[in-house]
Amino acid sequence: MSVLQAADGALPDARVILDTLAADFALDVGPARVVRRTLLDTFDHRLCAAGLTLTQHGEPSGEQLVLRRAGRPVTCAAVGGARWPALAAALPSGPLRDAVGAASGIRALMVVGDERRRQRRVDLRDQDAKIVARVDVDVPTAGSGGAVQVRVHALTGYSRQARRVTALVTGLGFRPVTGEQCAPVTRGTSAAEPIGRDAPAVLLLAGVLGGFVTAMRENLPGVLDDVDTEFLHDVRVAVRRTRSTLKLARPALPETMRTRWEPAFKWLGDLTTPVRDLDVYLLDLPTMAQWLVAADAADLTHLDEHLRRSRAVQRRTLVRGLRSARFERLLEQWDQTLAELAQSCAARPTAGELSDASIGRAHRKVVRAGAAITVDSPAQSLHTLRKRCKELRYALEVFAPVTDKPARKAALADLKGLQDVLGRFQDCEVQREALREFAHEMMTDGTPAQAVLAMGELIGHLDTEQQQARERFDGAFAQFTRASSARRLRRLAGAR
Amino acid sequence: MKVLATYNIKGGVGKTSTAVNLAHLSAREGRRTLVWDLDPQGAATFIFRVRPRVKGGGHALVSRERPLSAALKATDFENLDLLPADFSYRNMDLDLDDTKRRTKQLDRLLDSVADDYDVVFLDCPPSVSLVSENVLHAADTLLVPLIPATLSLRTFDQLTQFVADAPGKSPQVVAFFSMADRRKRLHREVIEAMPRNGARVAETVVPALSIIEQMAERRAPVTAFAPTSRAAQCYEQLWAEVG
Ligand SMILES: Nc1ncnc2c1ncn2[C@@H]1O[C@H](COP(=O)(O)OP(=O)(O)OP(=O)(O)O)[C@@H](O)[C@H]1O
Ligand SMILES: [Mg+2]
Repeated sequence: MSVLQAADGALPDARVILDTLAADFALDVGPARVVRRTLLDTFDHRLCAAGLTLTQHGEPSGEQLVLRRAGRPVTCAAVGGARWPALAAALPSGPLRDAVGAASGIRALMVVGDERRRQRRVDLRDQDAKIVARVDVDVPTAGSGGAVQVRVHALTGYSRQARRVTALVTGLGFRPVTGEQCAPVTRGTSAAEPIGRDAPAVLLLAGVLGGFVTAMRENLPGVLDDVDTEFLHDVRVAVRRTRSTLKLARPALPETMRTRWEPAFKWLGDLTTPVRDLDVYLLDLPTMAQWLVAADAADLTHLDEHLRRSRAVQRRTLVRGLRSARFERLLEQWDQTLAELAQSCAARPTAGELSDASIGRAHRKVVRAGAAITVDSPAQSLHTLRKRCKELRYALEVFAPVTDKPARKAALADLKGLQDVLGRFQDCEVQREALREFAHEMMTDGTPAQAVLAMGELIGHLDTEQQQARERFDGAFAQFTRASSARRLRRLAGAR
Repeated sequence: MKVLATYNIKGGVGKTSTAVNLAHLSAREGRRTLVWDLDPQGAATFIFRVRPRVKGGGHALVSRERPLSAALKATDFENLDLLPADFSYRNMDLDLDDTKRRTKQLDRLLDSVADDYDVVFLDCPPSVSLVSENVLHAADTLLVPLIPATLSLRTFDQLTQFVADAPGKSPQVVAFFSMADRRKRLHREVIEAMPRNGARVAETVVPALSIIEQMAERRAPVTAFAPTSRAAQCYEQLWAEVG
């Protein structure tokens, strides 16, 4: 089957298509059927990126989900009373759920388009009145948007006729659809126009910071509606990047950035932390359940319920904060501040100078903090090193427009090995402490002992993992500070 | 893949009508079905409105110059494909004779589409030939329409003998009465007195019905253009017995 689509905006009448075909074939036009199609995808268009189209159709017999790959149906499933947004896990089990879930992952499916279409099946016959091709003419009803589509179904042994039909329809301005077109995904880090090393640093910073605040805005509705956990995560990433950028670019920025805006974004970051932490525990729970040897996975249901209750409480605080006048003002005035920054015409430092200085400083800080760590160092010192590593990473990302791409990618890869070890080390620490705290809270409201015992087992497991991460640290740090990696970073910081 | 052949040494007994209607019923049930019109006269091909032409002719198929799949045609019915007749099939005996295992060629050709179809009907020309020997090899079931008349039954004797004499695996023979006229005493008597020779005789009798003759003008199976007719019911009953 091939799918042909009218050019953007063109709405050829179904009549025109039929008249054109009638020149070569006798037509048997079937009755018109109106179908409602709801297009579903994740917020970041993961299905589309995977070449998939998921639509929900209202049929008299009930709601149907149809999954297409490059326009061709691959599988379908009946759904009763589906409510969107929902995770793929909420779909009826089967091949459709498996295929959709593999692409959507952690993200919820939501309605990204809605249209009503009038479809007609047309049989095309030759002079013996034999059917030699079939065509579906598919027209959006007035006001529902979308393009007129013609699907040509070739019949075995009649490919020549199908090609003829395709040629006739193409002659009307239709073009083949190869996979469905995705709406472009806006990325928070993309600078508006390429910036050179000699451009003022403030110009680069204004662009980068503007990208971050766009990402925050785009993800905000998903956070408020609690669509899936990634919306909040992406808001937090944008906030964290903003804060790091403000910090590492202090030498190039006006004083108010430090006095006014750094605390403002710290407030925003802190506002989002409790819910994100609980999200992480809830997401990790299935993995944690697999660690249990002595206890039963079912013993964790109490923890699960406790986490959900706590999350509901914390979400109320979060939503109140995000709907507050304070937050609204923050966004508004931040836009204004960035606009002023872009026009401030402070020619120095240049983007190149700031990049060299920032990457160099961040790199030296990592090396210094890491070298000071010995077997006896407290966990806190690894925690500090982790922060330094993050700062170096953000510096590399922020100054991406003015640094060499292959060198930057290699440096980020080197850094990632070290960050993974430090991340695991600290996550174990934090989770262990959190589990202790949860256990305390739960004991006061009469949770059965086995639930707490199961959590004890998890704490034991985290302990072992943390030790393992600690043991891997020396190797990872040595790998990061090896001569070739150090040389690469010095070059990224402007050394010849 | 199940292979059924409609076969009789005698002509004009209802082989093609049976193959076309049962194939349509099989496809209607959702089974992927193929009809191979082996008769150079192309009666089944005509009924399905397909042009009786195979590129390179029977020779290209038998010699494997062209794959069977390249000659397939979709019919107007879902799940039902046709391998059309070609006038060159009249020389198929000679083409088969040139091959190595000359009685097993059809069977091997059908192997190439074994994954694509659940049911295959072979509509055979009326004769005893190398083609029919190949059909015996390829078919799981030989569907034999019989006109209840003494002469007609004599050829049934010959047919069962032919099947018994053929070397290798032989198909199950299922005979049924076709174009029977219940009002004719002769028909009744013949049906009752028929020597079975170990063959299975289906319960279903397809009587002489003029609507079946209309298939040639309507160019479609009776089961498609008159699905509730008595004729269609008879074919449904027959398909339930042999399918
Ligand atoms: N049950 C029936 N009642 C009336 N006419 C029938 C019946 N079955 C077949 N016919 C008609 O008899 C003629 C021969 O039937 P058909 O073509 O099916 O037989 P055949 O055995 O395939 O013939 P051939 O040997 O020529 O291939 C056709 O005109 C057909 O319409
Ligand atoms: Mg015939």
